[in-house]
Amino acid sequence: MTASETLVATGNRAHSHGPGSPVPLQARNERPTSYDVADFAVPNGREEEWRFTPVKALKALFADEAGTETPKIDASGPDGVVFETVAADSLKVGKPQDRSAAVAWNHAAEALAVRIPVEAELIEPVHVNVASLGARGFSHLIVDAGRHSRATVIIDHTGAGELGSNVEIVAGDGAELRVVSIQQADHESIHLAQHDALVGRDAKLHHVVVTLGGKVVRIATNVRYAGPGGDAELLGVYFAESGQHHENRLFVDHEATHCKSNVLYKGALAGDNARSVWIGDVLIRAAAEGTDTFELNRNLVLTDGARADSVPNLEIETGEIEGAGHASATGRFDDEQLFYLQARGIPEDAARRLVVSGFFNDIIGKIGVPEVAEHLHEVIEEKLARAAELSASAKAVIGQ
Amino acid sequence: MTQTAHPELEGLGNYQYGWADSDAAGAVAQRGLSEDVVRGISTLKNEPEWMLDLRLKGLKLFDRKPMPSWGADLSGIDFDNIKYFVRSTEKQATSWEELPPDIKNTYDKLGIPEAEKQRLVAGVAAQYESEVVYHQIREDLEAQGVIFLDTDTGLKEHPELFKEYFGSVIPVGDNKFASLNTAVWSGGSFIYVPKGVKVDIPLQAYFRINTENMGQFERTLIIVDEDAYVHYVEGCTAPIYKSDSLHSAVVEIIVKKGARCRYTTIQNWSNNVYNLVTKRATCEAGATMEWIDGNIGSKVTMKYPAVYLMGEHAKGETLSVAFAGEGQHQDAGSKMVHNAPYTSSSIVSKSVARGGGRTSYRGLVEVAPGSHHSKSTVRCDALLVDTISRSDTYPYVDVREDDVAMGHEATVSKVSDDQLFYLMSRGMAEDEAMAMIVRGFIEPIARELPMEYALELNRLIELQMEGAVG
Repeated sequence: MTASETLVATGNRAHSHGPGSPVPLQARNERPTSYDVADFAVPNGREEEWRFTPVKALKALFADEAGTETPKIDASGPDGVVFETVAADSLKVGKPQDRSAAVAWNHAAEALAVRIPVEAELIEPVHVNVASLGARGFSHLIVDAGRHSRATVIIDHTGAGELGSNVEIVAGDGAELRVVSIQQADHESIHLAQHDALVGRDAKLHHVVVTLGGKVVRIATNVRYAGPGGDAELLGVYFAESGQHHENRLFVDHEATHCKSNVLYKGALAGDNARSVWIGDVLIRAAAEGTDTFELNRNLVLTDGARADSVPNLEIETGEIEGAGHASATGRFDDEQLFYLQARGIPEDAARRLVVSGFFNDIIGKIGVPEVAEHLHEVIEEKLARAAELSASAKAVIGQ
Repeated sequence: MTQTAHPELEGLGNYQYGWADSDAAGAVAQRGLSEDVVRGISTLKNEPEWMLDLRLKGLKLFDRKPMPSWGADLSGIDFDNIKYFVRSTEKQATSWEELPPDIKNTYDKLGIPEAEKQRLVAGVAAQYESEVVYHQIREDLEAQGVIFLDTDTGLKEHPELFKEYFGSVIPVGDNKFASLNTAVWSGGSFIYVPKGVKVDIPLQAYFRINTENMGQFERTLIIVDEDAYVHYVEGCTAPIYKSDSLHSAVVEIIVKKGARCRYTTIQNWSNNVYNLVTKRATCEAGATMEWIDGNIGSKVTMKYPAVYLMGEHAKGETLSVAFAGEGQHQDAGSKMVHNAPYTSSSIVSKSVARGGGRTSYRGLVEVAPGSHHSKSTVRCDALLVDTISRSDTYPYVDVREDDVAMGHEATVSKVSDDQLFYLMSRGMAEDEAMAMIVRGFIEPIARELPMEYALELNRLIELQMEGAVG
């Protein structure tokens, strides 16, 4: 038997590497993006960007069809802010990086643009409420802060249903923009979103993602810089309970010089099949000298059966940087802290809650919007009370 | 060779991309892979039927499996243009004097006889052209019942151990390159340390690729029985050749109850070798596995030594240092799988990239359900010494148990002008100062190496850093 006969006999490779062996992507920015839904196959869960996500539950948001409803969007804000309805592709700061974002991009009838005029300083926050009405819908928001403006925009997602959304954010040169996106739709709802932010020269962007409700919530945040001196602070808080999947994916693409990024995400998990995923990609390109970046993710697992995945990835193509690093930790809260509090006469239940509030306190403080901070404290308390009931009933069962 | 305090290191310095002996290998196998080649290897070695079957299974799986969808660019490998087996013309020699002159000459340059003279190594299994030609075990080891053989001889003399353990840690279909290795493996080391025996001197082997375009597919199997200890040291060097060659080894280690194994390797393949290695150990209760892994050479390395912690209080540790110069990509890391309660693991990785080279840390820490009270820490530090090099960190953590402590930290920094200025103001040349900073950076790992290896590592770093400045 010759070598070539063997090849045929075992149904072998036609060439040296065998069929279907493309070269792996070598940097994060090589991952394809497109406005065309057809450029993305329907995910089957084996793809790198979907392998943590329960894709079976997301079929409705992968189908290339118009929504069955339009989410109800209410916007209000202080004097000076301008609301406009524009075409979805009028800005194009964002570009879909996966199937669901492309579907949302093409089927959101129009986009709501929130414009902060040049040099306007808004003391009170702008509120945008996106309410899903129980069916499948898409939304598209644009937050455009003019140069040297200051503003806070709170986007609140409520209701029930399946929502695919795109959010495009521009912080003009020298602007300071705070965008808070809250996901608190009901426990059966699904929300897939892509946020794309462009940070101008010497601008400062605070981007906050707060995920509290929803069965599957996946927010992908991408940040780019339009000029040197930009600063992005990316914060996230999530609390997944039984049956909830909270996923955050970040990509900070440093291409301009002397820019900063600081990522801090903290999450807690309680209950069976509570699940969180955090992927933080940072790319420092060869041209981005003087970059300073740090990423941190902390997960607190409160009960059995919960799972937290945490993957910080760092790609650096130049040595001329200020600093780069990341850290991630997952664990149960410190029993010693619990012991310390109990030794001082605080009942276990209250001590546990204190420890968890302590865990979240620093990040809640950084959000910088009192009404959001207050709301978060309340919801976390509620969730903790539920978790305590769970473990109490579990103990009771064991006790019998 | 000039007179220096360490003549063996002088040799190491010079071999970097030095010489190639004449291609005198005996039965030069055909290029490319086919069933004939696999059967041929098995027949030449007079292997038992079950090993041939396993090889053929490996071949089938190699053909079927895709190339990895992640990691380094491997498109430069031409599997059809590789010699999968090369037999040395010489039979196994029993003493140093019996080695043929050109092989002896090669080893002289590698510094083996000096090491032997210093009695720093317990036995030398030097792999030359896929087959071990020189192998010596000190008599006291034999008296203790320690088996230290090349893998081919091991299979002949201890078939019962092979049947039980071969492929038990890394199954034939584990990945494309493990399948390839199973199909065409040749050479490597086989070690068995009996219960309670502590081998107090490192066992050492040298490997070399020496025929153009030949693959080196050694297979190492180490069994450390209960409460025993062994430190195995493996070093790789290869002279440079015109076209790309492939090294794809498989190392399986079984560490039984309460035993400890340390595996030290520094690879310095020449800059055209694809080094794609699967290394994995299983640890029973209370056992400890330590990987000390240095990656200096090769064009592309993908190597993630793994520890499967299968028993309570088992412990896994990886210390990894990688250095990538021009045209090199070191994609290295480690994998820790916690499969039992009270297990702990730690990974420390240090990497340096210069001259457009790329270092990547890629790691996985997995905690299976039920592995409560497990602990893991991962620490990666990268040093960049210029503006054109690249450093990546891809750690992955998969925790399915709540009662664990898991941490990961990474920093990437550059050599600061202040540090350089400080050293230069004390009279050091810039490249000397740079080399000193780099040596200081990797010191925590270098000090874990046996003395002669630490020296070799420092020398290699110096060579790599030459011309790094300016």
